[in-house]
Amino acid sequence: MPDLNSVASGPSEVSMSDPSAGIQVAEKLHDGATDDETRGDEFAGRSPLRIALTRLRRDKVAVVCFAVVMFFVFVAVFAPLLAKMFGVSLDTVSVCEVVECNYASPDAGLPKAGPPAHGFDPEHPFGINPRTGSDNLAHWLYGCRTSLMIAGAATLAASIVGVLMGLIAGFMGGIVDKVLSFIIDFFLTIPFLLAALAIAPIINERFAASDNYPTIQKVSLIGVLAVFGWMGVARLVRGEVLSLREREFVHAARVIGMPTRRILFRELLPNLVAPIVVAVSLMLPAFVALEAGLAFLGIGVTDGASWGQTILKATPYWDSYPLFLIEPMVGVVLLVLSLNLLGDAIRDALDPKTRR
Amino acid sequence: MRRSKALATLATSAVLVSLAACGGSDGNEGEGEGGEFEDAAETIDKDPDRQGPAPEVEGATEGGTITVYLPDDPGPEDLDPTNGWSVTGNSIQQALTHRSLTQYARDNESGEMVLVPDLAEDLGQPNEDFTEWTFTIREDATWETGAPITAEEVAWGIERSLDSDAFPSGPGTEYSKHFFAGAADYAGPYTDKGKEYDAISFDNDARTVTIQMETPFPDMDYWGAFMAMGPAPLGDESQPPEYGAMPLSNGPYKVESFRPSEELVLVRNDEWIAESDPARHQYADQWVFKFSEDSTQVDELILSGNDESQTALSTGINSENYTDLRSALGDRLVQQSAQCTSFWAPDYTKITEIEVRKALAYAYPYESVWQASGEVPGVTRVPANSVMPPGMAGKSDYQVDGEQITTDPEKAKELLAEAGYEPGEYEITMVYNEGTPTTEAAQEQIEKGLTDAGFKVKGIPIPIETSLYTIWTDPDNRINKTLNLRGVNWCSDWPSGLTMLPSLLRTGATYNTAFFSEEEIDAEFEAIPLLPLEEQPDAWGALDERIATEYYPIIPTAFRNDLFTFGEKIGNPTGDGALGAPNYKDLFVAE
Repeated sequence: MPDLNSVASGPSEVSMSDPSAGIQVAEKLHDGATDDETRGDEFAGRSPLRIALTRLRRDKVAVVCFAVVMFFVFVAVFAPLLAKMFGVSLDTVSVCEVVECNYASPDAGLPKAGPPAHGFDPEHPFGINPRTGSDNLAHWLYGCRTSLMIAGAATLAASIVGVLMGLIAGFMGGIVDKVLSFIIDFFLTIPFLLAALAIAPIINERFAASDNYPTIQKVSLIGVLAVFGWMGVARLVRGEVLSLREREFVHAARVIGMPTRRILFRELLPNLVAPIVVAVSLMLPAFVALEAGLAFLGIGVTDGASWGQTILKATPYWDSYPLFLIEPMVGVVLLVLSLNLLGDAIRDALDPKTRR
Repeated sequence: MRRSKALATLATSAVLVSLAACGGSDGNEGEGEGGEFEDAAETIDKDPDRQGPAPEVEGATEGGTITVYLPDDPGPEDLDPTNGWSVTGNSIQQALTHRSLTQYARDNESGEMVLVPDLAEDLGQPNEDFTEWTFTIREDATWETGAPITAEEVAWGIERSLDSDAFPSGPGTEYSKHFFAGAADYAGPYTDKGKEYDAISFDNDARTVTIQMETPFPDMDYWGAFMAMGPAPLGDESQPPEYGAMPLSNGPYKVESFRPSEELVLVRNDEWIAESDPARHQYADQWVFKFSEDSTQVDELILSGNDESQTALSTGINSENYTDLRSALGDRLVQQSAQCTSFWAPDYTKITEIEVRKALAYAYPYESVWQASGEVPGVTRVPANSVMPPGMAGKSDYQVDGEQITTDPEKAKELLAEAGYEPGEYEITMVYNEGTPTTEAAQEQIEKGLTDAGFKVKGIPIPIETSLYTIWTDPDNRINKTLNLRGVNWCSDWPSGLTMLPSLLRTGATYNTAFFSEEEIDAEFEAIPLLPLEEQPDAWGALDERIATEYYPIIPTAFRNDLFTFGEKIGNPTGDGALGAPNYKDLFVAE
């Protein structure tokens, strides 16, 4: 057995460098001419990922976007601590204690303190929701958490399913490929929004009376996003595998009797890292936007904080209280934009044909 | 029918239960003084002698198109007069296209509504004990085809109202079925085809229609103001449901096109004779009703004051825009009593202690719920003390606890302690609509109010597409069985306690969502309509107070008012206090 292992790892190493071996040299020359830092380790063996990372680090847009994304991740992870730090919470308050309910007054229906009728209120830095009296900052922080958690989990689930389906379909070929391709095409034909709109009431009907309803709602949302999001990755991976499996290193692995599972994960998968990373990095912002969109339509997270929900609530206040709408909009736009730009930058960095 | 903008006072649809007519009007028509509503003490007057043509409205001119926006209101599903029980459908058709036995007219000086004759020459001739009513049909009234309306057609139209299967949401299911002689054994002309029904008789030569009653029914003249009590073409021509798509008109306007939930266009009916009609006018050339509009957009349009908005009016506003609209429109923002009361209905079989029911009343965060649900506190929702809304004959100003019940968590806790419950021990299970910010925000406020008052709350979300009434009124519903707190929202059909109390509190009544049942109260419901006419209003008022004092079965959370906005060029911007709608009969396009 140990023997087999060492034999197996041989071609594997080759495979890591094999597909891009020629390009690596070109890369060296290119890098060497423009970058002093990399001059030192010229001709040292570097993987395509290392090269991509170096390229990314030099891309100013990518760095800024990465910082913005990291900021949102920080906010999402530490939402409860941040809320505590600012002294705000998601707790329900009696509206009329913080909002002017006397409609004879000129500020009728607007918060008693803070924007838009009054100046900055340190107790509620982002202001107050004029409908419910709840704190906007707390909802923003937890909304970020909801957004990233759902988008992240859905991306993870969708890419795992997609990669597996693509690997199997591409490598096995024949009837398995036909069946899996049919399933992929079938899911692609289902209109996503229609399905989401149809599923929401079913989930509600089944679980509305349950105590865990908010959790079930989140899980089902992740499920819906993942179920309708994996096909792109699967197709991409299948296509790549179709061309890779005819390459020498795969043939070599087969000849020496490597099990299929091992070929898939040790031989093929490492060569697919680049397209998968690109697909995932573009899937994440799509899911963030979708989550907000579904919440806006009232079929996403209806219980708890969500940017989409806040946008829905704030729309009628655009005239009298624009800040209320701007805050969640900035959150969604900034996060989606930086994730997208970062995704583009990663793709450029990983693409050996890019010359900049 | 459902109002898409659900009401946070637990009740979704005024339309479903709201019965069209109601009493009294408000003298105070939106003078913009901060929204204090005067409780109209007066009731509807009757004027049996009034004849056509209707008195001219000052400054009225002919011509133009009036556009009516109905934000978040899907409007009627069909236009069959017999099926019209919603406030929206009944107010539009009664005022413009479909005549009935009697109708309401607005006295433009006092703002009060007066019950006047319509197709009948007077308000009907009852016999001594109100068990037989005779109406004489006027001879100059015509259909849009120019043919005269005969007594036979009126009798046929009235007979149609007895068919609960053909017209399940029609008002006849409540009143014709309950009061007309032998109606219990007659399923209506479509379901019981060929069966003779002799309680409604007519004489084409003498132009009379006579109706026999099962029990004394002194309010038949009010019931006659529903368009269901009007004529229908004989035979197949009025076959439901086809007739509902394009009914034959007999008012000053006829239907040009109708797309349910979207648009209704009415144009002049040249065959209508002004002399035959004591209350309607024919000023505008055309009416366009736009249903299910976006309320934010409608407010923007009205506020913009552009050409399109000048000849438009809207039947609802967004509370966010109330201040802007009030300053921009002045007296063209009209407050109108809707003659409706919203209730919380604790299950009488599960919440058996009166202390707990009262504790719920003190726990309800009235103002906060109104604000959260997009109402204008003190304007579109005002505190309520009784089941009967203001403007109803005999409405009592009693206070069940000496003064108006307001939110008071401490008092609620005391009451709970009296009943022997620790704070956090008593669990309330209720449903609410999810999918709109307003209902969710209101539910948050309710849950906070109840928790602060020492209750434990479990709120079950229901998608906004499902009316809560479908759960509350279905005894076999799985969720309904778990609830111990429901709601109901009821509007009067005419200014008599008869259209409020029995419908809500009689044993087994559909909208008795509290499942209240006391034999002696049921006996009162049967006894009061038999009292002499002039004693009835006070008897209803006294019964209202007695039920609240002894049992407190349902908690009145608000009296409801509507806000209408009128464009600059709409003449005589007023509301119709009888129907709780804009006063369509007297509107015109100013030069």
